[in-house]
Amino acid sequence: MFTTLLLFHGLISVALLGAITHQAFAVAARRVEARGTSFIARFRGTDPAAYSTAIVVLVATVILTGAILYPSYRMIVRPALQALDLRAANGVFEIKEHLSAIALVLLPAYWAAWRQPLVPEYFAARIGLTWILASVVWWNFIVGQLLVSIKGPV
Amino acid sequence: MKAHGRLMIFSLVACVAYTLAYYFEWSLFQYYFAQNSIGFWEQGGAVGPPILWYGWLATAVLAGAIGAMAIPSRWVARVLPDLLWLVPVVLIFAALMYERRWFM
Repeated sequence: MFTTLLLFHGLISVALLGAITHQAFAVAARRVEARGTSFIARFRGTDPAAYSTAIVVLVATVILTGAILYPSYRMIVRPALQALDLRAANGVFEIKEHLSAIALVLLPAYWAAWRQPLVPEYFAARIGLTWILASVVWWNFIVGQLLVSIKGPV
Repeated sequence: MKAHGRLMIFSLVACVAYTLAYYFEWSLFQYYFAQNSIGFWEQGGAVGPPILWYGWLATAVLAGAIGAMAIPSRWVARVLPDLLWLVPVVLIFAALMYERRWFM
């Protein structure tokens, strides 16, 4: 059960990484450049508003599955980190915990800022919230993979 | 638009409340994972260490919901767009500062 849920958590995280990275680059590109034909330009040239509902669902799902897995982390992984005196590894997980909570409670504001028709007054908020979520998702993914690598197969 | 304002107020208040909750350990409840039980008051060491994160999150959601109902949208309409991203950035920086104890 734990391994299945961990695998699901990881797979959804990868889908979320793709969606939020696309949106973050697309929302930043709108101000400064027109659509081009290069890979980077095409990557940035998507409609960022199209991702918002999917991102809300993915972020909520990833954090919910993470919350279900959390007691197993406390019982299995954390004692191993403490036994190895890996304080920094514990610290990066504590940061992941706080960032996840902040990302979760920011979802209503993020969803509202991206609702159609887009309100011009929320332009900076859309960029800011999207980049905050993207940074949190990348941090949490890297920390999650790092801790799984340290602990090894369960 | 009014509903959007309320959602944004919820997020802002919940973000601030979460930060205060972990800093002051205002956990609405504790989950004792070794016993698979929930406690509303701190229990002794016999039941093992608690997980406070669920309780901090519940505190934040409760505060956000109260804030969204109590704070009129028009009060924050002028500053809301900038606060929406500035406040979380400051709170993330605060979380990084709080957790630097692990790296010393």
